[in-house]
Amino acid sequence: MSDQTHMPAGHDLAPGDEEQHSVGARILGYVVGVVLALLLTATSFFIAGTDLVWQPSIPVALIVLAIAQMGVHLVFFLHITTGPDNTNNVLALAFGLLVVFLVVGGTVWIMGHLNANMPPMDQIMQMRR
Amino acid sequence: MLGKLDWSAIPFDQPIPLIAGAVVLVGILAVLIWVVVKGHLPYLWHEWITSVDHKRIGVMYILLASVMLLRGGSDAIMMRIQQAVAYQSQGYLPPEHYNQIFSAHGTIMIFFVAMPFVIGLMNLVVPLQLGVRDVAFPTLNSVGFWLTATGALLVNLSLVIGEFARTGWLAFPPLSELSYSPGVGVDYYAWSLQISGVGTLVAGINLVTTVLKLRTKGMNYLRMPMFCWTTLASNLLIVAAFPILTATLAMLLLDRYLGFHFFTNEAGGNVMMFMNLIWAWGHPEVYILVLPAFGIFSEVVSTFSGKALFGYRSMVLATMAICIISFMVWLHHFFTMGAGPDVNAIFGIASMIIAIPTGVKIYNWLFTMYGGRIRFETPMLWSIGFMVTFIVGGLTGVLLAVPPADFMLHNSMFLVAHFHNVIIGGVLFGAFAGFEYWFPKAFGFRLDERWGKLAFWFTFLGFFITFVPLYIAGMLGMTRRMQHYDVAAWRPWMIVAAVGMAVLTIGVICQIMQIVVSIRNREALRDRTGDPWDGRSLEWATSSPPPVFNFAFDPDVRGEDAYWDLKAHAKRQSLEHEPPEYHDIEMPRNSPTGFVCAFFATIMGFALIWHIWWMVILGGLGAWATFVVFAWRDHDEYVIPADEVARIDRVSIEDRRNLVSMAGSV
Repeated sequence: MSDQTHMPAGHDLAPGDEEQHSVGARILGYVVGVVLALLLTATSFFIAGTDLVWQPSIPVALIVLAIAQMGVHLVFFLHITTGPDNTNNVLALAFGLLVVFLVVGGTVWIMGHLNANMPPMDQIMQMRR
Repeated sequence: MLGKLDWSAIPFDQPIPLIAGAVVLVGILAVLIWVVVKGHLPYLWHEWITSVDHKRIGVMYILLASVMLLRGGSDAIMMRIQQAVAYQSQGYLPPEHYNQIFSAHGTIMIFFVAMPFVIGLMNLVVPLQLGVRDVAFPTLNSVGFWLTATGALLVNLSLVIGEFARTGWLAFPPLSELSYSPGVGVDYYAWSLQISGVGTLVAGINLVTTVLKLRTKGMNYLRMPMFCWTTLASNLLIVAAFPILTATLAMLLLDRYLGFHFFTNEAGGNVMMFMNLIWAWGHPEVYILVLPAFGIFSEVVSTFSGKALFGYRSMVLATMAICIISFMVWLHHFFTMGAGPDVNAIFGIASMIIAIPTGVKIYNWLFTMYGGRIRFETPMLWSIGFMVTFIVGGLTGVLLAVPPADFMLHNSMFLVAHFHNVIIGGVLFGAFAGFEYWFPKAFGFRLDERWGKLAFWFTFLGFFITFVPLYIAGMLGMTRRMQHYDVAAWRPWMIVAAVGMAVLTIGVICQIMQIVVSIRNREALRDRTGDPWDGRSLEWATSSPPPVFNFAFDPDVRGEDAYWDLKAHAKRQSLEHEPPEYHDIEMPRNSPTGFVCAFFATIMGFALIWHIWWMVILGGLGAWATFVVFAWRDHDEYVIPADEVARIDRVSIEDRRNLVSMAGSV
């Protein structure tokens, strides 16, 4: 697999480096990012306090907005793209997400079980009664 | 003015730490005076302390680890003697002192011996193996080293000023909370780990970037030597896991300093959360240590068998599998905390699964040796010793991964024997193998074989004489960390273990003798080829010690085992070719940033421990100012002119050509 895809090592770019774009295009990218981020933030605040929508949908909407916010940050500020020069960054992000998922998910699971099985002494006493 | 610090902090009533401290102080002073009187100070400052050369920093890491190994080893000797004599008596160490010793032993051995040793070897070797001139961030590298040294300094300071933690090496609350540990011991522990943790994180980021971004022409991922792969995996784990440690200790410190209740008994604190978080770091940590060791063994076994590594791709896969699975097993450190059958079963199975990629590695090494022309030189002895020892340790580990068995053996001497079995047999043997293997590369002369072999055999036998009795004592029900005991059945095993410790000590003395003898005979042991072991990867392609720029030209890599390939190629073709055209080389300038930063970090850490707030601000401002000055620097590189490069390179080529023609005539 290695010989065909031969690309000189060190060719790929550091995070944030983009060679082909001019300064103007880059500034435009950041401006679009800021506008989108602000829009999403404002929407979140609006949705949290509104009674225009079905109430139980509010938490779901907030989660969706939060994930969209992360996406905006990743694309416009951290420059995570799908380009071939960005494989390292995407893989690093995936590894980070996996570790966060494992640690946070595992912790919630473990601590839940511990709370259920090992309550403080006074609660155990109450159970006995 | 001085916070909690006053004369009562110095333990005048305890002779052991005071005498030990005095001896160390006299030693340091003697070395300092010798350095100043002989006029070595400018050399040390310009060539080592401010150096940003990855090779020099690697050597300094290993030196730090070796000195700390002696400190941690002294603690181990004291503990083994205490347990040998403390049958139905108090022994010679009072409980509060004994507790500090086992806490310091664990902390030092993991954070200031194992970590700097493997990071030092990675620093020294990885850029050479990748065929590049330095790591990605040279000055950051120096900062990382000096912050680690700061942590080590603070831990050792606790010997004479104040006390160290009495809580064990992970400082479990509620014992480590203010109500049960009101002294400065836990603060020494936590702040030294916070500061050296920053250093480790920085080193991790640096090495990940180096492997991902700085490879020479043609060095794609599947041509990297195995050690580079394990370095990548290990440093990915550092980057992912060390923030957990920092956050957990930060919460503990908030509890202790600002009256928070993260891990306290009262006010809704949750002690179990600490165990959970600290082991979410702690289990990846053991793989951070052992993966580079696996890489070292891969290099050594393939070199000394004269064969390419068997199953290179399966080895890569196994390494990356361990990298991921190591984040799925941490609960096995607290099976007995009561999470229940579902949780325990899943984590037990995950712990057994992680033994599979490790087993793959063992078989790969065995098959690499199979049919090879094996040379039993010292690095190879350490590697074979590792395989034997590590299999025993791994199997007791699988045993402990079975939750019902763990309920019997949890916190017993069996556990102590198990983790020493994998850490000594895995990490330390690996570190020694790497030390013997790459010493000629770092210093230009080989180590004495006779003393090296003696060191190996004493350490190997001493290890088993020490730790097999501990397995048995654990089976007999002995718990860990006992200052004294009343069970007659344990006594004989404790005495055997103490004898084993003496044998281990002889091993360490042989190791020191080996270095002394080799330095004396360095002319006879001189390596002029740059390739004393008939090596296979690029670090052997340059001279020993390598010039500051490592390679006069970027090496061109055409397959696995880059240098072996080159040598085979050269044999088929004539060595004569046109004199190459040399170019100027730009290298990073040396910088005192790391040292100055660590100096202020030491002041800040010490002040935080003793609650001297004005000094905290002073240290913090100093460190920040250092950073600002560095950030505003104007020029950070200097140029080595092409003529100079040519001169250095021709000397080394001439040396080798003479050797080749000599070998040809034989």
